Amino acid sequence: MRNSTSSYPFIWRVMDLLENGFSMIWPKGAGKYTPYLMLAPAILLVGTLAVGLFYIGDSSLRTLDRSTFQFSEDWSLENYQRAFSESFTWTIIWRSLLGSIIVTVITVSLAFPYAYVMVRTNNSYLRKFLLIALFLPFFIGQVVRAYGWLIILGNQGIVNDALSLVGVDPIRLLFNYPAVLFGLVQYMLPFGVLMLAPALTAIPDEIEAAAGNLGASWLNTMRYVVLPMARPGLIGAGIVVLTLSLTDFAMPAILGGGSQDFIANAIYDQFFRTSDQGFGAALAMILVALGSMMVGLIFMIFGAGTLALSSEEQ
Amino acid sequence: MNKPLSQRIVFWTLVIISILTLSAPTFVVLGASFTSGNMIQFPPEGFSFKWYGKILGEPDLRDAFFRSLQVALICVLVSLPTGTLAGIALAKYKIKGSNLIQTYLLLPFTIPLIGSGIGLMLFFGEMRILGNLWPVGIATSVINLPFMIWAVRSSAIGLDPDLELAAENCGAGPIQTFFNVTLPAVTPGVITGSLLMFILSLNEFLVSLLLVDARIVTLPVQIYNSIRSIITPDLAAISVVFIAVAIIAITVLDKLVGLEIFMKSK
Repeated sequence: MRNSTSSYPFIWRVMDLLENGFSMIWPKGAGKYTPYLMLAPAILLVGTLAVGLFYIGDSSLRTLDRSTFQFSEDWSLENYQRAFSESFTWTIIWRSLLGSIIVTVITVSLAFPYAYVMVRTNNSYLRKFLLIALFLPFFIGQVVRAYGWLIILGNQGIVNDALSLVGVDPIRLLFNYPAVLFGLVQYMLPFGVLMLAPALTAIPDEIEAAAGNLGASWLNTMRYVVLPMARPGLIGAGIVVLTLSLTDFAMPAILGGGSQDFIANAIYDQFFRTSDQGFGAALAMILVALGSMMVGLIFMIFGAGTLALSSEEQ
Repeated sequence: MNKPLSQRIVFWTLVIISILTLSAPTFVVLGASFTSGNMIQFPPEGFSFKWYGKILGEPDLRDAFFRSLQVALICVLVSLPTGTLAGIALAKYKIKGSNLIQTYLLLPFTIPLIGSGIGLMLFFGEMRILGNLWPVGIATSVINLPFMIWAVRSSAIGLDPDLELAAENCGAGPIQTFFNVTLPAVTPGVITGSLLMFILSLNEFLVSLLLVDARIVTLPVQIYNSIRSIITPDLAAISVVFIAVAIIAITVLDKLVGLEIFMKSK
């Protein structure tokens, strides 16, 4: 006969202690607030970003005194005025915007057939192969991938070495706009496919067969059946690729070699080269606004309810 | 796939272009790391492991790798409990203002990385904690947290609420129910999420670049700094570490939950 709880297994006593402790600080009546308690750590963690944004906003309103290298005590909009009046800002905004749009179009055009073949194939080995080919670069990271392209495209790179074997002079393949865009497409492709695949999985193959039976060519089936049905996935993929490439730093820095800066590179330079934190912060605020505006614009034109945001929805 | 020939030709051409673009850098880095010459060139100059031997003797690269590992572990330690609780809460309960909360929890994805990084740099600088590795771990956890929440949430949705009620009927308190019923049920999601967090944190470049100083550079930053000066095969050898980790992660992920999980709609 057990006469005291001390003979219970250790884990039971730990559990009881935890239960008692928990019911003391969190009585039954508080039950309806339990989900908020569970969300609290995540909300706090993400809160660091909100605080960070506040600091950027604050810095962006302080101007640098170039004689003392001190930041002003009072707030002013001078940094923003300067940003919008300098042609340098417009050049990089235009370069980033145009680049991200081109990258998005190419990436989605490549991601769609990739996701389609991956979803539709009956061959499970092929599907596995396509998934691995997708995840491997996704998991390797941007810097190593960019490094791979440096080896392939550099002046003493593989392509130029191969060309010189057949007697062609080296071509400058790196440090230009197309190189940056190419690197971005390669970086974004896994994101695009992973956003599109669930949307294509949701379209039954029978619908395509039905369209075919009714005499539609495959191009028409794609255009009038599959693409409209895959729309949430296309919008989701478009938004993710657009915003990530608009704000990318590594590809323009590594493959652009400093001559093809995007907005993120300009912000970095303001903080670490020019040491004009206020101006850099103003550029960062403009980038945040630009990104949100583009997402908003896509919502307005194509409608919301996309995969990108509904991924967290019930 | 029983599709018309012309469709197959068009699709497969595009798919092959994609596969080549996706895989080329990986294979080139792998190939370059085994060169026996002092330069990376084509055709490669013989086969050797000499650059692997060389990186073992380079404390800069080795230390940077262990720092990255530390950052990734801190990231998982922080985001695992945080993201698991949040993911379960979002899947299980009808929450007032849940739309607002979800939009808020997606901030790490909607704020551009350079913005998040600079904001955290200013914030951590104000708190005088810059120059340590753990704030870098926390930062990589913050910017990738939605992945963790998403992974746990999608496996918690499949959890039958009756199971938890049954446990409570049998006399289990909320803590016991959580650890013995809820948590085992969402384990696949927790594993998927933690793996993603680990890999993304190990590879994180921009936020690392903003938060580290010269004494505590992480491996991606170290590689970035080196490729801007001169490209030598030892960098390829150290990059293979990332490729190896990626292969391990993919294998684990595939064995445990199956890669196909990423093709399903939630």
